[in-house]
Amino acid sequence: MYQQTEHADERDMLSSSRLLIMCVALLALLLVTPRIATSQPSEELQPRFSKALALVHQAEVAGATREEITNLVVLLNKALQLNEQATRSPTFEAKRRGDLLAQVNETLGTVETEASQVEVTAARRTLTTRTQAYLSGGILAVVSTFAYVIAVRFWREYRIKRTFQMRVFRKRVEQSVHRK
Amino acid sequence: MFETIAYVAVTPRPGEQFFQLYVLGANRLLSDYYPDGDPDIRVGELVKWYVGVTDFMGTVQLVGLRLKLGNQTISPPNDLEATPSPAPLVAEFWRFIQNNETWEMPFFWQIVNGDAVGGSTRVLALQINNETYPVLGPTAVNGYNFRLIIELWTWEAQSTTLQFGWSASGERRVAWAQVWFNMTNPLPQ
Repeated sequence: MYQQTEHADERDMLSSSRLLIMCVALLALLLVTPRIATSQPSEELQPRFSKALALVHQAEVAGATREEITNLVVLLNKALQLNEQATRSPTFEAKRRGDLLAQVNETLGTVETEASQVEVTAARRTLTTRTQAYLSGGILAVVSTFAYVIAVRFWREYRIKRTFQMRVFRKRVEQSVHRK
Repeated sequence: MFETIAYVAVTPRPGEQFFQLYVLGANRLLSDYYPDGDPDIRVGELVKWYVGVTDFMGTVQLVGLRLKLGNQTISPPNDLEATPSPAPLVAEFWRFIQNNETWEMPFFWQIVNGDAVGGSTRVLALQINNETYPVLGPTAVNGYNFRLIIELWTWEAQSTTLQFGWSASGERRVAWAQVWFNMTNPLPQ
């Protein structure tokens, strides 16, 4: 009976020491893991980052200026930095982590809104620029055609005028030969 | 003819899409990679590099620098198959950069912990820019021929995945760099 109790105690001790080792290993893993995987976008936020980047790309394609894109990139990097802080925060600081992730979400929301606005503005500006360029091309073509026609007309009139202004002279060489 | 000129003026010309990756030494030159020119790094000895990436993709890109610690036998990244090195990851740094922008970061590192058992030397922890990273890395015979491999990763917007290198004109391209060093004496300075 005593031996059985002793064996049971040993088993309990073994299982509790195993549990302790597992806890320590888990704790070590949790402490190490966030440092190895640092600032890449966290998995739950990857679709948000992807969406924000896609909207920024659309704004670029629409013809946004470098300054407009720089503002968006600054916000994207801010979101990335907050995401990194959230990833690195220890698991026991769940509230802080949650707050940081909420800030990331908010910043990405701002990026999405601003990127959409920039896209609309840029598209309108690009359309205006293109219309102006093509209209200028057309106007230049018409003006240059008129200029050419007028120039040709003046040239012809000038030639006619010069022709009628011509006078006939006897060659001096011939005159000297006749004198001889 | 005028309309052609107008079209050429308002239509952006497509250029070659690529990234540039570089590693510079302590004086921002392609030299002075090791303190006093000695590639044998001791524990606690600060090594100063500068790592930079320039975006020539024509758009904003999310780029990542993945730092791996390898030895002489671990294979480096494969340029032809565009596969990364199987060396263990130590740290990674991510950033959004826009077209024609260079992201250059100081990369000041030191070995903070290492050991040598029976001629087999291991780096146990690296400190990079005042942040300590544990290394579950490979061993080197007598501490010779460790290498830090820096890989360029990008975010593929269409497939929403991280990829080693980038895709341009239907082709996969990669960029990576490595710098060799020794740690023949794992004792602190």
